[in-house]
Amino acid sequence: MNRVINLSTHVLAILWALPLFGIIYMAFKDTKVEGFSVTIHNFIEAWNSAPFAQYYLNTFIIVIGILAVQLVTITLAAYVFARMNFVGQGIVFLLYLVQIMIPIELLIFPNSSTIAQLGIYDTKLAIMIPYFISAFGIFLLRQTFKGIPYELEEAAKMEGCNRIQTIWHVYVPLAKPTYIAFGLISVSGQWSNFLWPLIITDSDSNRPLTVGLAMFAKASDSGAQWGVVAAATLFVILPLLLAFFLFQRQFISSFMHSGIK
Amino acid sequence: MKKTPIVLALLLLFSMLLSACGGTDNKGDSSNSSGDTINLTWYYPVNVGGEVTKVIDGYAEAFNKEGIEVNGKKVTVEPVYSGNYDESMTKVQTAVKNGKAPDMAVLLSVDLFQIKDSIIALDDMINNDSEAQEMMEDFFPGFMLNSQAEGKTWSIPFQRSTVLLYYNKDMFEEAGLDPEKAPTNWDEVIEYGKQLTKDGKWGIELPATISGYWIYQALALQNGDGNLMSDDGKDVYFNTEEAKGALQYWIDLSKKHKIMPDGVLDWNTVPTDFIEGKTAMMLSTTGNLTNVKNNANFEFGVAFLPGKERLATPTGGGNFYIFKDIPEERQLAAMEFIKWIAQPERAAEWSIDTGYIATRQSSYETPELKEYTESFPQALTAMEQLEHAHKEISVYEQGKIIKILQDAIQAAINGDDVSEALDKAQEQAEELLKPYQ
Repeated sequence: MNRVINLSTHVLAILWALPLFGIIYMAFKDTKVEGFSVTIHNFIEAWNSAPFAQYYLNTFIIVIGILAVQLVTITLAAYVFARMNFVGQGIVFLLYLVQIMIPIELLIFPNSSTIAQLGIYDTKLAIMIPYFISAFGIFLLRQTFKGIPYELEEAAKMEGCNRIQTIWHVYVPLAKPTYIAFGLISVSGQWSNFLWPLIITDSDSNRPLTVGLAMFAKASDSGAQWGVVAAATLFVILPLLLAFFLFQRQFISSFMHSGIK
Repeated sequence: MKKTPIVLALLLLFSMLLSACGGTDNKGDSSNSSGDTINLTWYYPVNVGGEVTKVIDGYAEAFNKEGIEVNGKKVTVEPVYSGNYDESMTKVQTAVKNGKAPDMAVLLSVDLFQIKDSIIALDDMINNDSEAQEMMEDFFPGFMLNSQAEGKTWSIPFQRSTVLLYYNKDMFEEAGLDPEKAPTNWDEVIEYGKQLTKDGKWGIELPATISGYWIYQALALQNGDGNLMSDDGKDVYFNTEEAKGALQYWIDLSKKHKIMPDGVLDWNTVPTDFIEGKTAMMLSTTGNLTNVKNNANFEFGVAFLPGKERLATPTGGGNFYIFKDIPEERQLAAMEFIKWIAQPERAAEWSIDTGYIATRQSSYETPELKEYTESFPQALTAMEQLEHAHKEISVYEQGKIIKILQDAIQAAINGDDVSEALDKAQEQAEELLKPYQ
């Protein structure tokens, strides 16, 4: 029985990885040659078509900036919802939950007009601001915080900790797996965000990688040039892929702990 | 008692982000037009692959060196990539709504009715400018069809295309057909297709996603003497006998004659199938010429679309629009740039680089394009077909109505009754158009 499970996991893993192998194969294949061939021409062509170095830097700044702010906001909000009592708590929390279900694309018009009023059109900050608070993150962390024994907080209070210190010394360390899981979701989500950055920014100095990729992937007038598209796709996913391989163990164990699949 | 340095550090980072990002990049429209230069913002979509951005940047650089002046101020242009056509439209509409309208944008020529309130009619500007008049007279008349409405001119042709028939000459020869003779009417398509379909290879492929409605419009135009919509964009005619016959023909190609694969064929994979020799013929845009030329390792030909009652193709592609909410001086500057980029030599160059049809008749007199079409006569066919060009479908509520039509086409391909599908599409479209009548 174990053997069957083992075998089927391997089969599933291979199936899952097939598109990735396909992309790698196409990126290195010379389209003009029949049969097997290897070329780096596609990569050179893709790299030269857009300022990818700048886009990399921007993507890093945007993704890390959003995550840094999110970690602060979700920690504080999750603590409030988990441990403090106030009038209308249930309703406010419900409103937060409803946000999870609204696709951000629907909010492009209202968000962009806020950005225009703030006078920060075409900045990296404009890309980041709508994501500074994550309803999903708050929900996730609140559940984790609720599972932490209240006695620990009382003990911290006895020791003279104020609220911030209690959160920092008691709650944050115990919720580490949840933070890692949320961080992964946030980073991969922001990494692939496309439409909002495209609409809210004009200059290359503020635009992320996905905008560079779109130049290739959306060539509906000319038919897709799969080799170059695949090469550009590899540029975009490579850092995430590397990070995942390096931290695989931590990621998987934190997902087990936090109970997200 | 320990401090909480990391929380403080994060808060510090947060405030730094706010101040740093907000402050530095603040280059609004106000600073663009101040001083003695006018820096135009130009939103452009890319629909033929990433290398085109380099060509566009090259144009901008060349133009900025040119030193063209309006009101004594030097005009420069800054191209901004804005996604595909749909995303460009969303970006433009968002920007206009927030008072951040670009100076000009390339959008689908058929999107006119959707943005008419945000753009200016160009007639006054053209009438006061002999160069502009000359330019307008030189554009292929077929490309101007979608620029005009209510007796005014709203946009200027830039990257334009038509539908073309591509065929694999090697496969024609193998099947015992004359490789210099493409099918000229629907019956011949079926006859040729039957000879070409064998060993898992297909006679013809018609794509039904993305711009599939456009391919369908070509068939509907061929099948009678009408079009799918009225000129004022307020009526559609999806359920006429011609329109139904065209869709029935499409479906018969696979269901009855078995010369086309079953099911909805994807816009982007049809050219790939053609290049890989999986289909002997395809209908696709002229924009594919360069792609097929670069990647096919067999002899291929292009030809006018096979006709029925008449030869016909809709035009397609993107035009320049100039926006309303900007100072007149900037509008004039935008026109200067459009005139510059639409010069016959540049239109010829753009055609060679992208595969779009050069928009100006005199482009085909330039040495560059003459030389190019001599070595690659396929590029001429697209231009010659323009005399059979008709207006591409362009109506109010464009996006929704195109979706209705496309859904009906795909439903019929997947087995729904042709007549019912188009009747339903007509009904839904009429409902949407009611407020405009």
